[in-house]
Amino acid sequence: MDPAGDAPAKDSGASVPAPTDLAAQLRLVARGDAAAFDAVYDQVAASVFGIVRRVVRDPAQSEEVTQDVLLEVWRSASAFDAGRGSATAWVMMLAHRRAVDRVRSVQKESERERRTARADIPYDEVAEAVESSLERERVRRCLGSLTELQRESVTLAYYGGYTYGQVASLLGVPAGTVKTRMRDALIRLRDCLGVAN
Amino acid sequence: MARDQDLHTLAGAYAMDAISAPDRARFERHLAGCPECAREIASLREATARLAAATAVPPPAGLKERVLAAAAATRQQPPAGPPAAVPLWRRRRRLMVTLTAAAAAVLLGAAVVAGISNGSMRDQLSQAQASSQQIAAVLTAGDATMMTGTVRGGGTVTIVMSHSRHALVFTAADLRPLPGSRGYELWLIGPAGDRPVTMLTPGRHDMTGPVVASGLRSGDHLALTAEPAGGTARPTTPMMLDVAL
Repeated sequence: MDPAGDAPAKDSGASVPAPTDLAAQLRLVARGDAAAFDAVYDQVAASVFGIVRRVVRDPAQSEEVTQDVLLEVWRSASAFDAGRGSATAWVMMLAHRRAVDRVRSVQKESERERRTARADIPYDEVAEAVESSLERERVRRCLGSLTELQRESVTLAYYGGYTYGQVASLLGVPAGTVKTRMRDALIRLRDCLGVAN
Repeated sequence: MARDQDLHTLAGAYAMDAISAPDRARFERHLAGCPECAREIASLREATARLAAATAVPPPAGLKERVLAAAAATRQQPPAGPPAAVPLWRRRRRLMVTLTAAAAAVLLGAAVVAGISNGSMRDQLSQAQASSQQIAAVLTAGDATMMTGTVRGGGTVTIVMSHSRHALVFTAADLRPLPGSRGYELWLIGPAGDRPVTMLTPGRHDMTGPVVASGLRSGDHLALTAEPAGGTARPTTPMMLDVAL
């Protein structure tokens, strides 16, 4: 008889999470709370759009993919499992995967076009696109602490949307080496960024 | 041992989505039995999330309104639940409807837009059992998209999908016959996990399907594997087909 299962939890004032507590907001979204989704949008939309645009590049397609990702957050909020990582990491995983999938599904048509993306572009963009927010600055510094091969592997893979096999051929390095460097690089980035495990 | 070690070096590539979907599926099976690896991936994902956050830019004006409006009109996914598979050949004839001219036009339009001149697919569909309302619903969806793929080992597939209908129509031609104890199993693979769609039943004239796969989600891939005839809950053999949807 308790209607709480269907009603947004914000009925009970005490349980309304701070707008910045993304995990708690997502739990409300999973129950269909539109106000919580509004707050989630405000918190993640810029990062989602940023990474999608970086990978997809085409502005119209980027907007479309961003909309898909945010709708996916709404639709599958119940699949978020706080035991398996932070809410931000979950949303960014959805965003990046969707962007990469989009790029790969159109890859055949525009393979040549994308090949013009040079290895150092993403890093430079990160370096330049700065409104010197602290976060950008920290990421830039940590990317700078990697070896060149590590940094190129990460930027081509994450910002370029390439597979490790493609990265290997772009860099003229064996695929096994690239795989290893990617893992080493992320471990180093993780430690440099002071990401809580 | 060596194999596990080898798989484990994929952790970085996996955390950056820098692997093909079959590799991804294989690695996820590895993760399922390796909690330590899952923890490592989680921590690497925190790092990649920061790489994403560093690219933040204000989204286009009007996007928020569109997203909120779309959400208001979109049903949410329940906490768990496998998608329903509907093998058409088991459906009642009463569902048979003639593919309307409008549906055919849309399908043709989709084929043209996709730059595909796959006459056999159109014939097959229009001939067809392509008759059920479900198929028509996918084909006539505003966002219907047609794709083709090649099966490793032989055969071609044609897919018409609609994200707005959360479904796709699958047909295959010239699939290599498998030994009697095995059959082709169709999968949806994506962020929501590996979901079996159905075992394929060989049709006439080397044609298989059409099969409707519902429960399509954003980020899914369609995959095909050879499995024991009764079907399995997760893919146990290498992907013979992998199409990003």
